[in-house]
Parts: sequence; C-alpha cells; structure tokens
Amino acid sequence: MTDERAETDGGTATVGDAGQSVDYLDEEINIFKPATPFMRDNLKMIFGLFTVWLVFIFGPATASYFAPEYMFETRILGGYPLSFFLTAIVAPAAALALSAVYAWYRDKLDDKYGVSHESEGDAGTATAATDGGNQ
Amino acid sequence: MIEPILLQNGYETALDPGFKLIPALTIVAMMVLFLGVGWFFRVAAVDDLWVAGRSIGPIENGMAIGANWMSAASYLGVAALVATAGFYGLGFVVGWTTGYFILLIFMAAQFRRFGKYTAPDFVGDRFYSDRARGIAAFTTLVIAFVYAIGQGSGMGLMAQYILGLSYEAGVILFMGVTIAYVALSGMLGATKNMAIQYVILILAFTIGLYAIGWTQGWSTVLPYLEAGPQTAELIDAFNDEFAEPFAVNSFYMWIALVVSLILGTCGLPHVLVRFYTVDNERTARWSTVWGLFFICLLYWGTATYAVFGGLLYEEPAQPGAETAMTLGVEGVDSFMEMPPGDSDALVALAAQLADLPEWLVGIVAAGAVAAALATTAGLFISASSAAAHDIYTNLYKQNATQREQMIVGRTTILVIGVLVTIVALDPPALIGELVAMSFAIAACVFFPVFFLGLWWENATREGALAGMLTGIVVSFGAILNDTAIPMYTGVEGAVSAELATIVPGLASALVGVPLAFIAIIVVSLVTNDPPEDVKRLVRQCHSPKPMQRMESAEDAAADGGSPADD
Repeated sequence: MTDERAETDGGTATVGDAGQSVDYLDEEINIFKPATPFMRDNLKMIFGLFTVWLVFIFGPATASYFAPEYMFETRILGGYPLSFFLTAIVAPAAALALSAVYAWYRDKLDDKYGVSHESEGDAGTATAATDGGNQ
Repeated sequence: MIEPILLQNGYETALDPGFKLIPALTIVAMMVLFLGVGWFFRVAAVDDLWVAGRSIGPIENGMAIGANWMSAASYLGVAALVATAGFYGLGFVVGWTTGYFILLIFMAAQFRRFGKYTAPDFVGDRFYSDRARGIAAFTTLVIAFVYAIGQGSGMGLMAQYILGLSYEAGVILFMGVTIAYVALSGMLGATKNMAIQYVILILAFTIGLYAIGWTQGWSTVLPYLEAGPQTAELIDAFNDEFAEPFAVNSFYMWIALVVSLILGTCGLPHVLVRFYTVDNERTARWSTVWGLFFICLLYWGTATYAVFGGLLYEEPAQPGAETAMTLGVEGVDSFMEMPPGDSDALVALAAQLADLPEWLVGIVAAGAVAAALATTAGLFISASSAAAHDIYTNLYKQNATQREQMIVGRTTILVIGVLVTIVALDPPALIGELVAMSFAIAACVFFPVFFLGLWWENATREGALAGMLTGIVVSFGAILNDTAIPMYTGVEGAVSAELATIVPGLASALVGVPLAFIAIIVVSLVTNDPPEDVKRLVRQCHSPKPMQRMESAEDAAADGGSPADD
C-alpha cells in the first residue's frame, strides 16, 4: 500500500508538495523498511554513499593485506607507497567529499519535499519577544 | 611518562626545556583572550550554558566541531603514533576523520531534531527509563575523565618547553586556567572561544609544517602531496617498517582500531552536543561537512609531520642538537623507537630540530595548548551537564532551579578538573592511547543505543539497558585486562594475552558493538514494544518537516507534529 502511494506521488505530485500528504508521525521508523517516499529517497542515498565509503576506508588496508608487495612497492607522487598515500591522504579526503555530496543531496531532497529551514529567524524573534513581555 | 625517559641513560628529551620570552607572551596573550571572550559571553541561563541558545551557524559550528575534536591527541598524539607505529598509526588518522561521515548520514540531523541538552537526555527520553539515563550520565563522566587526562598530559609537556616549568607545574597551571574559563563562560562562551581556538591551532600547526618544508627544501605549496620523496627516503634509508602495512600490528588490529575510533566518534557525548547548539538540522548537516574539512586540514598534515619529524630525529638540522637516536641511547635504534617524551612532543620537536626560530617553535607549542584547552572545555561541559542536568535535576530533584543547576554544574567542573589534574601528573599511557580508550568506551556503550534508538522504533527500554551493560562490560573489561590492572599491579603485559589480542582496550568496539547490538535486538524482541509517544518521538526525529528553533522532538510529537500551527 505504501509502495502504491509512493509511485502515485512520484508520478503526479508537483515538485514542492511531494511529501505533504504524509503524516510522518504515523509512519514506522525502521532502517531496512523505509515507510515514506522521503525516507526511501534518503536511505537509498545513505546506503549508496555508505558503500562507497567502505571501499575508501577499508579498501586500501584490505588490499595491502592481500597484495602487500604491490601496495608497498608501488610508489606514487615521487615516493609514497600506494598503501601509505591511500590511507593517510585519500581516505580522509574521500570521507569529506562524500559528506559534501550527502549534504548537497539532502538540500535537494528538502526542496523536492517542500521543506524550508528559512523561517527559523522569524520563530526565534517571536520567542524572544514573548520572553521579554513575561519578565 | 616521566619515569621511562629518565630510566634510559639519563636521557631526558630532545626538546629544549626552559623559559622563552616570546612564546611565553604568546601563551599568556592567548589565555587572556580566552578568558576575555569567556567573560564577554558569560552565561546565566542553562540554555546558554549547555546549548549556546541554539544560535550557532554552520561555519562557526564547524570550527567549534574542529576545535572541540582536535585535542592534544590530534595535534601532538597522532603524529607521535604515526612516527612510532607507522602504518598502524595511520589507523588513527583514518578513524578520527572518516567517522564524521557516519555521524552525518545516520545521526547529525536527527539529534538536532531531538533537540534536548545532553546525550543522556536522549538515552533517558528515548528509552523512557531513568536507569538508562543514569548509566548514560555515569558513562559520560567516565569518558570526559579518561579523555581529559591525555589533554592535561599534553599541556604539561608544552609548558616545559614554553615556560620552563616542570611537567607537573605545567599541568596544574594550564588545567587551572581551563577550569576557570569553562566554569565562567559555559557553552556559549566556549563555542565562541572554540572558533578562535580552531583558528589558532590550525594556523600554528600549518605554519610549522610549511616552515619545516621550506627551510629543509622539502616542499613548497602542498606539503601533504609533496612529501613523497621524504617518505621514500625515510623508508629506504632508515626504516621500512614505517610504511610497510602490518609490520607493527596485524591486519585485525588495524581494522579493530579504525572501527573503534569511527564508532566512538558517533558515540561521544561532547561531539553530539555540538549538534544541539545549531539553529536547525540543515545547519547540523553542513556544520558536519565544514567540521570535517577543518579537521582534515590538520590530519592530512600529521603523516607529513611524522615523516619530517622522523628524518629530523635521525639527522637534526639544528646545530649541535642531539636526540636519543644520534646519542645512541640504548634501545633506540631507529626514530620509530624514540622515547614517549619525544614522540608525544614530536610536532614541536620537529620544528625545533629543523632549526626554526624559537618564537616559531613557541607558536607551534602554543597551538597544542589551545587544542588541549578547547577539547577539555567541551569535555568538562558535557560532564557538568551530565551531573547537573541528568543526575541532579532529572534523577534527584525534579524542580531544581536554574541557579541550583548552575551551581552543581560548576562544582562538577571543579571536581572533575582537580581529579584529572591529579591523574595527569602521572598518566598511565601515551596521549593518543588514552584518548583511544575513551573512544572505545563511547563506541561500546553509546553507539548501539544511539543508532538503534534513532533507526528502529521498536528498540525497548530493557533492550537498551542490556546493550549498555554489555558495552560497559566489554569496554571496561578490555581496559582493565591490558592497561589498568597491569599498571597498578606491576604485571608485565596483559592479564590474559589471548583476550588482549582479540579485544584490545584501545579497540574493543569491533567485538563490543556487535555484542551490544545483538543484546539490544534480542531483548527488544522479547519485551513489550515502547509506548506510542516514544515511537512518535523517534518519527519526529526523522520527519523532514521543519521545527522551531527552541522546540524539541518531544514537544512536536506531543502536539501532533505541526509546530507551525502553535
């Protein structure tokens, strides 16, 4: 049933109110069973990026374990052993790049589902004004 | 840390101790600045003390994440571990950077939406249990304590170089300043200070690295990418164990270490609280990206520092300088065997051995003090909030006034500060190792309940208690086995060597986290589902609908989840 609704939403709803018909407080949270279209889009990206991350973080060490000669004897950039460079420099860089991709993707997803974080300033001012009145 | 140095033929350290005017003035100016900022942003309300009024933007919070994160362990300890443990040491670089990605995709925004004050708040509310909250608050205090010892130790080492004080006097002096300014300014002042501290520490670290590269003719624009020839020289001429994978420690130990540090990143209370201080969840996400960028700037340099430092340790450029290596101290046959007092000071030592001017070496050392201070501040705040907010107010006196909370919070900072100072006078391990132990505890105890609490609404109170107790048994047990008991009984090595190879105290999470996950899942399946309002709370944490700045997920879930209607 959820799947059906998702397809309909994706096919017909205009961008901006794709998520408006869902009451998120009624949908179960289970990382392997996303209940809403928003959750499905989000988790697809999360698992995709997570897989890439695994390769960059544990790949070089695992490769060094199975092919020690190759990973250590191969020298790049004037002398770094491949294993050393991939671990010390590339792994942190990969995590950074993947993080930026995810944050950027979530911004796009927010647009798609008509989510805005721009009204925060107004809410803050209103609260402050009320507080002032009470004192 | 002092004793083993003295044992080796009277060799103390290659770092020139003694009072130095310009570095001393630098550090005094820095301390005055921190206290001034702390005073200017001093706080009287708990919102400001613990979550900075939820007013911090992404770049500023990113810098605060960086400063809060990068302690003496990052600034001094990682270069030390890479230099002395080679490829195994690179596990610290990987583990302490890449974990932020996991935090970002699985937790950062959800925690912002949860929107309370402390990590134990999450555990207590999500698992509707005061006992769970109590265990979480206790663990928070232990983590802050273990973690801060390493910082005090780094402060003491740098005080020797800059002020010519004894190690002990340095620890006491700098911890005293830290305690004073955290107690005064709370989270708002600390956050403002952390941004400043980040700028100071990253400039000091980077300037040192560039200056070494330039003066030795090794690198020009990007030392991280240009140090290849020096790495090759270090391996081929002196010691190929340095970069050879698994020469120092096994593949299993490498993986266990990296997993522990990554999951520990996601479980540390003083890291999580940085997501409570931002104005909304989009800021929480982008501040994580900024934070990781700021962190990478330093971590890329640690391996380069280790390479430069290793070469200089073998052949100092400073006229007349001697190191344990050139002196031929017994047991030191290569730079990888340098005594702990040298390795823990390697970043400043490398600058000194490269014959950089004294004021420049002083700046590098001052950066280390800023790093240690910023992290200690974050830890003390998480400890004081655990004591005042979670233990005193939530468990002991429900109607405690803000004034009472502030008093309890500040008293906790004072007490824990004094305890840390005492233990740091004679620390039980290297700076980086001490910090890694607190990560293992955070990973085993907190990560499973945070992760399942956020991503599986049917995780129950009983499951969480079982999971946290499993985590405590594994992580504390591992540390007792290979560090605490041997140290205080004088036993050589671990109590059980077999156990220490499977579950090392530094890296118990590879075993501990799966066990805790199993405990939570199994117990949750056989106990009653959580109440409906708790499930709604979890859903609200994941809902894409915007919330107001000061609202928590609990408020939103209770009034039907439409905050815009109020």
